[in-house]
Amino acid sequence: MQRITHDERAAFGLLAPLALVLMAVTAFPILYSLWISLFAVNLRRPARQPFVGLDNYVHVLGDPQFLESVGRTALFSAMSVSAVLVIATLVAVLLDQEFPGRRILSACLLIPWAIPSVANGLMWKWIYDANYGALNGLLMQLGFITQGMVWLGDAGRTIPLIANAFIWKEVPLAAILLLVTLKGIPADLYAAAQVDGAPAWRRFLHVTLPALRPGFLLVALYELLMAVRHFDLFFLLTEGGPGGASDVLAWRIYVETFRNLSFGTGAAMSYLLAIATLAMSYALIRSMAQKL
Amino acid sequence: MRAARPSAQRLLSRRSMLASAAGAALAMPFAGRARAAEAINFATWSAAVDEVKAHLAAFTTKTGVDVAYSNSPFAQYRETMITKFTGGAPIDMLWVSDSWLPEFAQAGWLAPIDQFKNLTAYDAGTSDFCNESMMYEGKQYGLTYYTDYMGFLYNAEILAKAGFTKPPESWEEVTSQAAAIKAKGLLQYPVVFGMAQESWMIEFISAMVYSHGGRLVDGAGTAVLQDAKSGAVSTLSWLADAVNKHQILSPGCVTTGELEVLKTASAGKAVFVLLPKYRLRVLNDPAQSQVAGQFRQALMPMGDGGSHSTVGWMRFYGMTPRAVANATRGENTAKLMEWFGGKADDEYRFQKTLLLDLALGFGVKALYDDPQVRASLGAYGDVDLMARQQALAHKKDTIAPWFGEWNDSFGTAWQQAITGKTGVDAALKLAAAKWAELKKAG
Repeated sequence: MQRITHDERAAFGLLAPLALVLMAVTAFPILYSLWISLFAVNLRRPARQPFVGLDNYVHVLGDPQFLESVGRTALFSAMSVSAVLVIATLVAVLLDQEFPGRRILSACLLIPWAIPSVANGLMWKWIYDANYGALNGLLMQLGFITQGMVWLGDAGRTIPLIANAFIWKEVPLAAILLLVTLKGIPADLYAAAQVDGAPAWRRFLHVTLPALRPGFLLVALYELLMAVRHFDLFFLLTEGGPGGASDVLAWRIYVETFRNLSFGTGAAMSYLLAIATLAMSYALIRSMAQKL
Repeated sequence: MRAARPSAQRLLSRRSMLASAAGAALAMPFAGRARAAEAINFATWSAAVDEVKAHLAAFTTKTGVDVAYSNSPFAQYRETMITKFTGGAPIDMLWVSDSWLPEFAQAGWLAPIDQFKNLTAYDAGTSDFCNESMMYEGKQYGLTYYTDYMGFLYNAEILAKAGFTKPPESWEEVTSQAAAIKAKGLLQYPVVFGMAQESWMIEFISAMVYSHGGRLVDGAGTAVLQDAKSGAVSTLSWLADAVNKHQILSPGCVTTGELEVLKTASAGKAVFVLLPKYRLRVLNDPAQSQVAGQFRQALMPMGDGGSHSTVGWMRFYGMTPRAVANATRGENTAKLMEWFGGKADDEYRFQKTLLLDLALGFGVKALYDDPQVRASLGAYGDVDLMARQQALAHKKDTIAPWFGEWNDSFGTAWQQAITGKTGVDAALKLAAAKWAELKKAG
């Protein structure tokens, strides 16, 4: 049996305060929320909070409103993640080329990512506004429309429009991550493909894309996590409307917890979301890691 | 052992007495200060902050009672206060919205003020809907901070351009006038109402339902909105037709909040709007509106079998059980409440200040006769019409402990009917069923 050395004891001693702080601010709230999810906690009834076991989970899983919000979240995530991957790949490939102004373009590209998410939401709210929005103004000036379009008021357009605002903000970081992966592809591979007479699109298909897999995995995983639990744009642009058309999981959890003050079912929803996110991440890592 | 005990006790007792005496002697100079420093804790949302601070300073100067004032944004105020109450934060007096009264009272976070006769004495001079909005289960829970009602406002210049000399008297006339304005190409959507899921939505809807001669919930607390005669059916049908059939109201109304209505009207892009009456000042202020001087107020249009009724709301000073648990603290809190919600130095100073500085409405009927008040209101509106409309205001009938939870699904159902996703009847039946479910659950 190995004895703990003096240095190791010192290291434990030095790390212990940080570990305690992390326990207090991370582990405790997580475990406490799990505890709450087993009780009928509603702040409107502070004196009546009985233990209900898994009833909150059963109730939530049988709630059609919750299930519909799961569907909308899946739609939003699929749209957002796939679009971010495609656009970010194209941007990364572009920035990997040598051309005048590349550095300035790279710097400008980061602007959407640097904008705070609330400012981003307010900006898109203004852009999409039916009465004085910039999008209507632009389309009118270009002669595409003669009357203002109602963008966010149309239930069928709400999720794609919010996804568009999400994509705009997320593409820069994804592009930078993919660009880093691109820079790591050995030039020999392209040279060999060129010697074999492979045209540019074949080189992209058979050299670039396979080599980008680790970057894709990272970006897909990160964007999936961001999209599934995204809240800001739904709060700022539509508040779950119109008529529940953008009532996604994160919004439902907010409404259940902070508007309805039902902390028990809100915590249960949060745990279901966390489990689903974990499962999706695991599946994604497994499927992509096998191909690496 | 037995003999030693009294001696030890005596010793201990003597020691503790000496210690207590010494402690008391040391603490004496600070004792008075400590008592005086025990301030009344007053919480508000972040509005009229300068006015509140100035009025508080005057209160402390006059009474010697210190007040610890704190505020937080309105958007998160309800959640903030609930968290504070749940966590046992010391609060004595606070601003409360009528929408939250039942849930706050039921949870034991508010105390009735009926025992303070100096406060309830103000009821006689206050508009009925104000007093009713502060009552829950037969007890009064506060005194006016500010009150207002939903007003029907119109752009007289655009109306005149369309050839109309008078504003609409009925909802039918709103449709015909708006259709004419649209046909003349003056505006794409002459009617601009806010039907977004936000805190104002229930007031917009209640105002229209009342003017259609109906209610959402009856006196016994049972949802009647699904009833064809309730007024809600005709209101929602009017809205759905305005959007889908006549196209005089933008489908974007479901994402239009109160502030967007104000901005659109200020930009001259609306003829008919429903807004809190106090917004008339902004609309007619050249510094804030492109159409200053063009907006007027009319009585609420009437629906079939309806009246010019509208909805009024109340923001009031509430007192907590913590305040009344101690007689001195309770009296001081009541003094503070009167200083703000009643008279200060024999006049309704704070209610007047709020009106003169911020155009916020008041519940005291006599203030409509005050020359200063009349001059202020008269600068941007018809004072007598304002008073007439206020007399026709009614409290929200949906206020119940489960209101917050119900309002969410009600708003969704209402929006689905406006956008044509569901029918009017189906949407209202759904909302009524949700009300019944929550009422049953308590």
